[in-house]
Amino acid sequence: MISFKHVNKHFGDFQVLTDINLEIKEGEVVVVVGPSGSGKSTLLRCINRLETITDGELMVNKKLLNSKDTNINDLRKEIGMVFQHFNLYPHMTVLENITLAPRKALGISTAEANETAMFYLNKVGIPDKADSYPSQLSGGQQQRVAIARGLALKPHIMLFDEPTSALDPEMIGEVLDVMKTLAKDGMTMVVVTHEMGFAHEVANRVVFMDHGRILEESEPAAFFSNPKEDRARLFLSRVLNH
Amino acid sequence: MDFIGAYSLGNLLFLLKGLGTTLLVAFIAIIFSFLIGSILGILRYAKIPVLSGIVALCVEVIRNLPLLLIIFFTFFALPEVGIKLSVTMAAITALIIFESAMLSEIVRSGLNSIEKGQIEAARSSGLTYMQTMQHIILPQALRRMVPPIVSQFISLLKDTSLAVVISLPELLHNAQIVNGKNVNYVIPTFLLIAVIYFLVNYSLSLVARRLEIKERTNRKSTGKVLPAKHQAGEMMQ
Ligand SMILES: Nc1ncnc2c1ncn2[C@@H]1O[C@H](COP(=O)(O)OP(=O)(O)O)[C@@H](O)[C@H]1O
Ligand SMILES: [Mg+2]
Repeated sequence: MISFKHVNKHFGDFQVLTDINLEIKEGEVVVVVGPSGSGKSTLLRCINRLETITDGELMVNKKLLNSKDTNINDLRKEIGMVFQHFNLYPHMTVLENITLAPRKALGISTAEANETAMFYLNKVGIPDKADSYPSQLSGGQQQRVAIARGLALKPHIMLFDEPTSALDPEMIGEVLDVMKTLAKDGMTMVVVTHEMGFAHEVANRVVFMDHGRILEESEPAAFFSNPKEDRARLFLSRVLNH
Repeated sequence: MDFIGAYSLGNLLFLLKGLGTTLLVAFIAIIFSFLIGSILGILRYAKIPVLSGIVALCVEVIRNLPLLLIIFFTFFALPEVGIKLSVTMAAITALIIFESAMLSEIVRSGLNSIEKGQIEAARSSGLTYMQTMQHIILPQALRRMVPPIVSQFISLLKDTSLAVVISLPELLHNAQIVNGKNVNYVIPTFLLIAVIYFLVNYSLSLVARRLEIKERTNRKSTGKVLPAKHQAGEMMQ
């Protein structure tokens, strides 16, 4: 479903991603971990071309991402994205936030879009907030709305960039629960997170990055009990010991 | 001081006529400079190669010139190259040139004040650049722009008095003519036109303040907004 082959990415002179090779199959949940600045967000953002790759080959849904023939707006409709800071539209209600892209990008009628939006609001557990504005919600509720907004396009892939990092600790659980349900339903997910419990429980694979390279790719049980790389071991001891 | 003489019906009507000219010139200049300023601001924001650069250069030059110089330019210099404008047209043209540059900066910074994350969220859901502009950037930016735009309109209204130098028959100009009749009229007349300027501009700023309060209560901030480190440039292509 997602395939990186020898992908490099530069910001000017600075190489953020070096020789990335990664295959993600349909229905897989891949958790990307690594120190801050190691290129996790950039890797994720290449998948829907919020960042363009410098060279190599990146296929998403059998389409070449950096090809002129690929309509990026069409491809993006198949990929939901959830951000660290939610990025809800503050001037729109929850319902409008969720229905905007289905109505404008997919061309679905307002009635149908509202129905779909309510379905996903139920799924994330806050149907009663449909007419609220984002500022009236807690961080956890905002992030669940953001997830519903991503799902409303009925995407094949969901990308999460540190979805719980901006949340107060007591709200992390409610967001992770929604993501766990999503994973059980068979959604293809790429998740950048520091929540090692989530990785352990839900991931099919854990990808460890450092300095723009993928250093290790293992099943979670193996990764957490016996990381192959010294740097992964060091990283784990840091994140698990506090 | 001769208040009775200064405030004769004839003088009052004459001053009122001056106010009419002030308001008319300001109104026309506001409409056009708002349209032109919006277009220039959006062009600069959109970072179109070459074009945005040219706009930026022109705006920066004009913004850093005294308005008085631009008024002299449209009235005294343009005829030298064959463009002869009436006093009123020269004043309006100068105001439009200057205020468009000022307003374009307000529009540009209003657009720039929208967090990158907003644009990323919209673009990553498959909305096009124009759809993102229409549904996400403009509605939020406009709300933030209204107060500074109204302030700029107030400056514009006051700046119409600079056209006294090319004898535009606006409020200040007509006041000077009244003063010319009798030196005892000077203080009463200046007092009166000060009150008039104040009332007109203060009511405009009341409108601005009302909009500002409304904007502040309307603005629904989304959680913690951190400066986005990712540039929107690539994604806007
Ligand atoms: N738009 C950009 N321009 C220049 N450098 C960037 C940009 N975005 C990220 N970087 C740099 O790339 C590196 C990787 O960033 P990122 O992918 O955000 O890392 P992570 O998500 O793992 O913390 C960092 O050193 C960061 O400063
Ligand atoms: Mg990151």
